[in-house]
Amino acid sequence: MANLNITYDGMSADVSLELDRPVSDGDLRRIAVELIRSGEVPGMQLTQMRPDAFQHYVVDRFRGPRGEERIYLRPKVPFGAR
Amino acid sequence: MRIVFCGVGAIGSATAVLCRNLEGSLVFVDFDRVESKNLLAQAYVKPSVGKNKAEALKLQFLNLHGVKTEAFGVRLTRDNVATLCGGADLLVDAFDNQDGRRLLSDFARQTTTPLIHGAVAADGTFGLVRWDEHFVPDAEDNPGQPTCEGGAHLPLLGLLSATLARAIQDFLKHGVKRDSFVTLGAVTPTPYAASST
Repeated sequence: MANLNITYDGMSADVSLELDRPVSDGDLRRIAVELIRSGEVPGMQLTQMRPDAFQHYVVDRFRGPRGEERIYLRPKVPFGAR
Repeated sequence: MRIVFCGVGAIGSATAVLCRNLEGSLVFVDFDRVESKNLLAQAYVKPSVGKNKAEALKLQFLNLHGVKTEAFGVRLTRDNVATLCGGADLLVDAFDNQDGRRLLSDFARQTTTPLIHGAVAADGTFGLVRWDEHFVPDAEDNPGQPTCEGGAHLPLLGLLSATLARAIQDFLKHGVKRDSFVTLGAVTPTPYAASST
């Protein structure tokens, strides 16, 4: 069980994921699009979301305080990065 | 307690203002000058236009708030980072470029100096407050991607600066290192295990 947090267009929400194998960042981006299209992410139902909506997003992976996997899909924060 | 703000533009200047009541010495490092367009997004007032940002903020702190600070109007480089940041008890990264963030991060890790980063997405929908233990500077999507100018993202910048200032306060008073995601709808703490990578 992993906890996926998706931040998109000023919204942010958690969704639980049953993952039976390690998933790549690319897979996570695709999964996130499907979850949002199907309305499984609280507060985010965008049925027409583009398949590449998360193309430039960052995937952060951490362990939570109780050892659970926490995955964050978020926009880049370059703010003038060169 | 010596707190060194590296970069006092939109995020750094607003955060520093919200840290003006902390017990400790505030130090500002920035090579840039205040331009008229900065007045809408940064904590500068009209008489500061044309002055170095670090020096201008020092003057404003003294004249508007009666708080003494230090200022270094230079660009942070590998040659001077030890001199400028060597005595810091806390480093605050509010730079607007990946190179500066990486330089500061390298120094903090070498010297085990606590370092907290504040950063915002270019479209102004999302901000990040993150301690260096979990921070990796993001590259921009396209070269020359515009930075926030003209106050376009002022509400989010305000929220991000307040969150960063609170994280600094929590660390100084309680030793707690708190990371957060910031959107216009919410500030969300991001919990990690102490040993996570």
